[in-house]
Amino acid sequence: MNILAIDTSADETSIAITEGRRIISNGVYSQILTHTQWGGIVPSLAKRAHQERIDLVIEEASKRFLKAKGEKKERKTTYLNEAMKSIDCIAVTYGPGLAIALEVGIQKAKDLAKKYKKKLIAVNHMEGHIYSCFAQNSKGKPDVPIKFPYLALLISGGHTELILLKDHLSYEVLGETVDDAAGEALDKAAKLLGFGYPGGPIIERLASGVKNKDIYKLPRPMKKSPDLNFSFSGLKTSFYYMLKKMSEKEINKNAKFLASAFQEAVFESLLIKTEKAINQTGVTNILVGGGVVANKHLRSYMRKLAKRHSGQVIFPPFPYLTGDNAGMIGIVAFYKAELGSFSKESQIDRTPRLRLSEKAVG
Amino acid sequence: MKTLSITSNSQKEILEETVSQLRKGGLVVFPSDTVYGLLVDATNEKAVQKLLKFKNRPAGKPISVFTTWNQLPHLAKVDKLRQKKLHELFPGPYTIILSSKHKTSLLLESEEKTLGVRIPNSRLIDELTTRYRKPITATSANLSGNSPHYSVSSLFNSLSEKKKNLIDLVIDAGTLPRNKPSTVVDMTKEKIKILRRGDVGLQENKVNISNSENETKRIAKNILRNISKEKNTKAIAFIIRGELGAGKTIFVKGIGEHLGIDNIISPTYVVMYEYKTSHKKVKKLIHADLYTITSPDEFKHLGIKEALEKNNVLCVEWGEKAGEILDILSEKTHIVYVDIKYLNQNKREIIYTV
Repeated sequence: MNILAIDTSADETSIAITEGRRIISNGVYSQILTHTQWGGIVPSLAKRAHQERIDLVIEEASKRFLKAKGEKKERKTTYLNEAMKSIDCIAVTYGPGLAIALEVGIQKAKDLAKKYKKKLIAVNHMEGHIYSCFAQNSKGKPDVPIKFPYLALLISGGHTELILLKDHLSYEVLGETVDDAAGEALDKAAKLLGFGYPGGPIIERLASGVKNKDIYKLPRPMKKSPDLNFSFSGLKTSFYYMLKKMSEKEINKNAKFLASAFQEAVFESLLIKTEKAINQTGVTNILVGGGVVANKHLRSYMRKLAKRHSGQVIFPPFPYLTGDNAGMIGIVAFYKAELGSFSKESQIDRTPRLRLSEKAVG
Repeated sequence: MKTLSITSNSQKEILEETVSQLRKGGLVVFPSDTVYGLLVDATNEKAVQKLLKFKNRPAGKPISVFTTWNQLPHLAKVDKLRQKKLHELFPGPYTIILSSKHKTSLLLESEEKTLGVRIPNSRLIDELTTRYRKPITATSANLSGNSPHYSVSSLFNSLSEKKKNLIDLVIDAGTLPRNKPSTVVDMTKEKIKILRRGDVGLQENKVNISNSENETKRIAKNILRNISKEKNTKAIAFIIRGELGAGKTIFVKGIGEHLGIDNIISPTYVVMYEYKTSHKKVKKLIHADLYTITSPDEFKHLGIKEALEKNNVLCVEWGEKAGEILDILSEKTHIVYVDIKYLNQNKREIIYTV
């Protein structure tokens, strides 16, 4: 089954064509460059770019799909028209995310479904981040078998969640952030230190420059709370007032150590809660998805944690899958299609604060 | 004359260039929380003379200064009672008249030897005064007797070439929100007196002290409850201001809880989240965070206007940046200004003005 998937939840316009767990083609128009000067996502830019780029990205994904399929026939029409001949469904992210950005993807999905008479599948963006760990390339690599149950830790600029998966598409949210997301905390720390956006990779680089030493000992948020929720707002506040007491010279001189201390505090908090979840559920196989997984230091921490519990940890197999992408949306849609979980056009509405615990539409 | 722009130059560049100009005795056009201001080093006699020449200001008409909490006691006489009152008003759109200690140029004082001081609610000016470590003049960028300017182009249209040549640096922040010039409060006498009224008066400010996150939420709930009783003809917009980590999101969580929403998180990453409520009257809560917004253009595309239906509640964090949409907000909503100040780790001061 071939699925064309669309994701426009934040600042990426992403279109993929998938077959089962395989991502055959994936087109992302990364808008990060456009946004660098703004220090974050800027909604109107995001929206304008989505609207301007979406057809372009669809065409690119279709072209790559046809190429991967070895179809070199002469083309009388658009790549999309050609590709649509072998596509069965359209999948689209309907939340969580920025309302006006989601709207662009949803409208496009509905238009395509109508024009080409395809079924629609509505996908939660966070399901996508979970399933990004199961993704394969067009050749079916890597071939890691799926063995439930799993614990999934999702960490990105907008989200921080711990989820128990007992089976496909069955989610129990064990914990989530009550304020800022882990990636957002890292971005803000970078900004406080005078660096640009996105801040996560900058913090990682600074920290590795001092071998991830932790000399400032910032508080470990929520360490003592019995639940599995996260909080990074208090940590950010402590960091802010710690910097306020230092001179600019002192901050610049110690930027690497400061970045490292902050990163350690964020990561340790993630590890403490993940370990608590392992102990509570007895589940030792872990999926980790979202932009923060790009961090190599965190990966090594997670591997050690799984090893201590004789479990296994799975990360998204390719770097582009850590960010927002439609490939992961297509994979979720495949399992939904197998269950016959399709949506009518009228049922799909943008849901900016969609939760994994909510019943799927359709 | 050099021009730097808030949108294309980094804050660091802007601050460094401004500081270097002020040190040289330069005259800088700079955006404030109210109108464009004219900045010179208030302790530099020559620079102040240049400013007076630019403004055609007759001697003896006072000019106020931007200062910091640290500097203030050195510049003017502040007793305990006044100190307390100052903390209620600053940072904010006020100019407070106090008895001068004559540490700034005497040309800035009034004939009664008083000095006007300002600690505005502007991150940029806060950073600048902290860096510069000396008081800086805070007069509006217009010639004496003319009205103040909200954009650099409007100021320049009113100036002769000769006047323009006196300016050394311009920091362009586009069109400023049409806030009135500051409210001028005379505290030199026993009885406090308003000399000029800006956007805010004195009495409507209600001060709450919170000792915990839960208390902050409770205060938020109470404010919403009180306001929705009196004002139920339009949407309610909370413009929330406060430093990083002051507890702005906590305040919104309190509002959310009152409306039956328990999953409010920071919207920084996507700028704006909307929530459906389980409240009888309020249909939607819109939670926006303008932290990453740097250009007024961006507001047009947020969809805020569409969200302003009767009884909906809008919460805007980093509300000091909401200037461009204040016109829309004041037409379609009851605006509540909320200022949250960090007192210590758990303690916050929450001031609200309707």
